[in-house]
Amino acid sequence: MLFATLEHILTHISFSTISIVITIHLITLLVRELRGLRDSSEKGMITTFFSITGFLVSRWVSSGHFPLSNLYESLIFLSWALYILHTIPKIQNSKNDLSTITTPSTILTQGFATSGLLTEMHQSTILVPALQSQWLMMHVSMMLLSYATLLCGSLLSAALLIIRFRKNFDFFLKKKKNILLKTFFFSEIEYLYAKRSALKKTSFPAFPNYYKYQLTERLDSWSYRVISLGFTLLTIGILCGAVWANEAWGSYWNWDPKETWAFITWTIFAIYLHSRTNPNWKGTNSALVASIGFLIIWICYFGINLLGIGLHSYGSFTLPSK
Amino acid sequence: MPSPASYLLLNPAKPSSLRRLSHPHPSPCPRLQASRLHVSCDAQRGGGSRTGGGGRREAIPTGASKSKKQIVFFDAAPPVAQPQPQQGGSAVEKGGSGKPTTKEGGGNAALALLRRATKKTLAALSNLPLAISEMFAIAALMALGTVIDQGEAPSYYFEKFPEDDPVFGFITWRWILTPGFDHMFSSPVFLGLLALLAASLMACTYTTQLPMVKVARRWSFTHSGERIKKQEFADSLPRASIQDLGVILMGAGYEVFTKGPSLYAFKGLAGDVMKPRGVLSVAPDVFNTEVHVNRFYMEYYDSGEVSQFYSDLSLFNLDGKEVMRKTIKVNDPLRYGGITIYQTDWGFSALQVKKNGEGPFNLAMAPLKLNGDKKLYGTFLPLEDSDSSNPSVKGISMLARDLQSIVLYDQDGKFVGVRRPSSKLPIEINGNEILIEDAIGSTGLDLKTDPGVPIVYAGFGALMLTTCISYLSHSQIWALQDGSTVVVGGKTNRAKLEFSEEMNRLLDKVPELIGANNENVVDGKSTAT
Repeated sequence: MLFATLEHILTHISFSTISIVITIHLITLLVRELRGLRDSSEKGMITTFFSITGFLVSRWVSSGHFPLSNLYESLIFLSWALYILHTIPKIQNSKNDLSTITTPSTILTQGFATSGLLTEMHQSTILVPALQSQWLMMHVSMMLLSYATLLCGSLLSAALLIIRFRKNFDFFLKKKKNILLKTFFFSEIEYLYAKRSALKKTSFPAFPNYYKYQLTERLDSWSYRVISLGFTLLTIGILCGAVWANEAWGSYWNWDPKETWAFITWTIFAIYLHSRTNPNWKGTNSALVASIGFLIIWICYFGINLLGIGLHSYGSFTLPSK
Repeated sequence: MPSPASYLLLNPAKPSSLRRLSHPHPSPCPRLQASRLHVSCDAQRGGGSRTGGGGRREAIPTGASKSKKQIVFFDAAPPVAQPQPQQGGSAVEKGGSGKPTTKEGGGNAALALLRRATKKTLAALSNLPLAISEMFAIAALMALGTVIDQGEAPSYYFEKFPEDDPVFGFITWRWILTPGFDHMFSSPVFLGLLALLAASLMACTYTTQLPMVKVARRWSFTHSGERIKKQEFADSLPRASIQDLGVILMGAGYEVFTKGPSLYAFKGLAGDVMKPRGVLSVAPDVFNTEVHVNRFYMEYYDSGEVSQFYSDLSLFNLDGKEVMRKTIKVNDPLRYGGITIYQTDWGFSALQVKKNGEGPFNLAMAPLKLNGDKKLYGTFLPLEDSDSSNPSVKGISMLARDLQSIVLYDQDGKFVGVRRPSSKLPIEINGNEILIEDAIGSTGLDLKTDPGVPIVYAGFGALMLTTCISYLSHSQIWALQDGSTVVVGGKTNRAKLEFSEEMNRLLDKVPELIGANNENVVDGKSTAT
């Protein structure tokens, strides 16, 4: 009971802090940059990080196993991983656009996890026999870290695409409104960011195309770096899963839907990395591939669970019937 | 790292093929000295994209003295105008190989034809668009394989994709059964594509990757200024010495090699390239062992859910001697002589029941199909004599989720009670006293022999290692003394933007040989992209 209350408090703290953080971000983007606000948003992210970590630790202590046994826990872990990603460039103290992606992503995953949709999954569940292994920690955490990284990378690529084709954007949006709704949300921020950075540097002669070029170039470089990191993690995660499957199910590859879709994700991002070696495809085409990858990750992470088929059916959930 | 190159740098007195190669004239001509005197000051500093030029560069950074390695440069650079031997259109000359390889003239015509055909095939296979489309096709087929239900009987597909009412207007069962998409992951189309992709990868390894490895191992020099300028980062420094550049690069942590007028530096490249070694396993002997299940039991959580199931196994050899005994559970298989026994499943085989003190009878439990992965078993105890004329016999139904508790229903299907097999507590149903003696479980074991597993694991290890290595960043720099100008080019695999910033910062530190008119010192950052 104590743990339940603690978890409850921690989720609410993290959720409200990150809501404030995102409001600050929006204010900074839309109105003007205020130095103090930016610092406080950083502090807010740190608070969020500590409360999510606290949540995961208390889950771990109360349930006695690594808190990755169901979708709710994995979503929380995903937002934790997004935070980690948010911190990595901060260590090198390099300027980057990642936080524009990571902060809203964190709030979305958190919001979804804590929303009413999945309330029955909030309880920590017991582990089925097949999950009782040390590999759980390695495999699932690696997979989720890689999902978080790849999601960020592909969102950066999607932002690149939209900035590049801003003229055709209205048409584009009308046509694929539903699919791109989420992408649009982030890219709008990117778009505003582009505008702002163009405004900020007015001391130089204003060449909008030049700033656009510079921004897309930076986005391209960052999405490449982030995706290569995510690809490495995904490789390790899949291979760990294969080794574990050989221990638990007697075969390292079963063509189970989840496995297959993880492999599809891997293939798509392998295509991304290879398409970048061709200078003609670098930029727009590879960004298109990465944006496809964004959808594929969601199918892999969520769609398969929604169906609840195959051997990976632990993480499945049923939508409440109306 | 005592690579041959650094060894050479440490011991410049040693005669080396390198030195012999690079200096057709044994006496290095003092061109640099001359250039110091003759160069006029008209060339403005900071050509190219650098904006921070024009200032005198600062002295050699302290970082260079920290590093223990000493670089000894040749006294002066020979003039670059001197033609360097170029082979086969490639300006890159390998440092290690002394003589340029001459093509063996006159060969077997047929052999040549064969070689050309091989070359063409390799070129076609290692084509990047082809490989990418193969990967797309494979991804699409895999996605299709998860959409279409796999491994069903043909009649299932006849029913689901009928000819008279096709799905999406055109997909009938023919579309699925003819290419073998009902068993996608072993269908010839899928396997063929995989084989094609594998061929592409191998061709690419042969034509692109291996030469790259060779180049990386032999730390090449470049003698053509054009080639250097073609690099992702390129700049030229008028009135600079390549030696100063080398010292500065060393201060920044690069491994620096020089030869005459040219310089090569790298950071982050491994000195020697890892060679994954395949592990071959020996096929196991015939499995002349008897497996005996001593005991099967399950553990439960407090809530009644199954926590783990165990099988106590004994292995006997042909003489009846026990050779091994182990309790296996899920995630903890037994391995013996190439055979692996997995605990994969459990079942409910029978229920021992006493009826009015008679028995015990063994009632076989049948698994009931449920949606979801929860298990349910049921059995039936008839209370009347059954004969063929009366098929609707009434009796007691018993249902169980696991071996722990049995739910009993009476003749009319009404719930009566729950009993645990261990409780020995009788229950009265329709005037009969039923006592559940025992619940007999069955274990699901998987026996597998797979000599390929070590190979696959070795592949896994190699793949993980190489992916991680590929993520490490490395950068390479070439420079050439062209008269008094140093042409610098470099590339990196990651952090392209940061690399050019770092290069600009480093190049700003290269001291200028002749004091420029402009005396203010510009050091540190320069804004450039």
